[in-house]
Amino acid sequence: MKFIRTLTITLVSWLTAITLLHGGLNLDWFAKKPENRQSQTFGVGFLPVTCHLTCPVTHFINKNLGERDMFQPMRFSGFPELKEMFLGRPKEMPATFILAPMAIALREQGVKIKIVHLGHRDGSAVVVHKDSGIFQTQHLRGKTVAIPGRYANQRLILYRELKKVGMSFADINVVEMPPPDMPAALQSRSVDAITSGEPFMGQTELDGYGRTLWQAKDVWPGFISCVLAVQEDAIRDHRDEIQRLVNGIAASGKWIDQSMGHRMDAAQFVAKNYYNQNPRLLSYVLAKPPDRVTYSRLAPLRADFEEIQQLAKEAGMLQGTVRFEDYVDDTFAPDPAAVQPQKFEVQK
Amino acid sequence: MNRRVLHFILPLITAAVALGAWHAAVRMSGSDIFPTPLEVLRGLGELVQRGLLLKYIVASLFRVSWGFGLAVLVGVPLGLVLGWFRPAYAALNPFIQILRPISPIAWIPVAILWFGVKDTAPVFLIFLASVFPITVSAMAAVQNMQQVYLRAAQNFGLSGFPLFRRVIFPAALPQVITGIRIALGVAWLVVVAAEMIAVDSGLGYLIIDARNAGKRYDLVVAGMVMIGLIGLLLDLLVRRLEKFDEVRWGYGQR
Repeated sequence: MKFIRTLTITLVSWLTAITLLHGGLNLDWFAKKPENRQSQTFGVGFLPVTCHLTCPVTHFINKNLGERDMFQPMRFSGFPELKEMFLGRPKEMPATFILAPMAIALREQGVKIKIVHLGHRDGSAVVVHKDSGIFQTQHLRGKTVAIPGRYANQRLILYRELKKVGMSFADINVVEMPPPDMPAALQSRSVDAITSGEPFMGQTELDGYGRTLWQAKDVWPGFISCVLAVQEDAIRDHRDEIQRLVNGIAASGKWIDQSMGHRMDAAQFVAKNYYNQNPRLLSYVLAKPPDRVTYSRLAPLRADFEEIQQLAKEAGMLQGTVRFEDYVDDTFAPDPAAVQPQKFEVQK
Repeated sequence: MNRRVLHFILPLITAAVALGAWHAAVRMSGSDIFPTPLEVLRGLGELVQRGLLLKYIVASLFRVSWGFGLAVLVGVPLGLVLGWFRPAYAALNPFIQILRPISPIAWIPVAILWFGVKDTAPVFLIFLASVFPITVSAMAAVQNMQQVYLRAAQNFGLSGFPLFRRVIFPAALPQVITGIRIALGVAWLVVVAAEMIAVDSGLGYLIIDARNAGKRYDLVVAGMVMIGLIGLLLDLLVRRLEKFDEVRWGYGQR
């Protein structure tokens, strides 16, 4: 039949053509392979937020120093997809940046993972509309506050602040919302306050409709939201690789904090090559104020996690069935005081 | 004005009115978040300049082509068989009807667990979305076939594979093509949902990524516009299938 023949020929040629095009344009099939890729690398998950900044910075510096590939950064748009990849394909992505309470909750649910390092400290805020009458925590009573998810540390810090003024979640209306949608929700006043990691909080200030109610660094100094979690299988079988990753992240963190010049360099190359955001946004949140988010003291400490766990239990987020030893492996993390910043300058 | 020119001009007038209304609505609402048509056009220009637009279009077309192609390969034979053999229909139809209403978005977690975050997962989601409309329409096409064809064929002594090839398949073809056309629309429709998985290219990814990029709603709308325009092209292409004699004769019955 002519019809079937024409159809088959058209379809087969189309599939071949589009596959070759896709391979060439998006998968680098025809590009020359760089020669220094001797080893199989593993994926590390991250989101385009400042809490995960050390992931792309480590990758970028490592690549530009001409070192052997350490890992492949894998970018996600939201925590659910990131978590599914981490749980479902541990061979491809044995390590990821993830919310600390979510990592502990996964451990409580029997997933064999360990927190080996922190990703950052501070770098979170509660932001309200600039025209709103909310000037202190008490004014949030009866208002709608958007948080990134039930296992987000922002929920904890909110709980902690409400508790200080004798309020609880019963006094406010909490909704879950992906952080990228929060600025628009605040601008249209469909929520009264938003809280998530940067740069989405800074974005509202930069665009002129957000006013910071409080910064995490001011109400809970040393606040942790995201950590580096690793599958126990990978810790057992690839100890050296994990150690290299942790060392890289610790040294890159120090590098970011070393000077404002480094922060601005990081804002440029991360925004362009990894986050696909306007560099202005990262430059703003990394500089104003410079301690909005910090990357120097990244070893996991018992006291920090026990406070998180205690609060999370009170707030009904965690059961409290696992201990620090169960979900943290602090043998990888170098002593922050001894970590030397990466020796690297961006070529201009 | 002759009919040809009118067919060309009328849609353009509609488009101009829609764009004008869009522009006026954004201006009147005073929103500086939602983009005007001109800003979207500038966003598209930026994507072209960075060489991303072609890459993204190719990536989305690649995933839809494979997902949809596999759906046709599986769906048409499956539908024809189910339409013809009653026991097969009785056994499998409830199962198909259970799977059919499940949105591809609900399958995202499963797709990531099974296939990771490379191209396979979105292809799987697009396959799922399009295989059921194809199967169901092929099934219905055989079941609703006019009995007179069958009786005539049997009078001529046709049975087995020749009966299928010369009578059942051609008789079912027009309705199968209609099903395929609807399914292609569905396949293209779910491209955004399918690319919500952490792929790093594609028009759906463009939309998700622009949401992460701060105030870049011009790129969100640019992605929507491109998906719409390519959808129009795809439908025009599939309509050409209906020009073949083998398909046309079926329509003459109505």
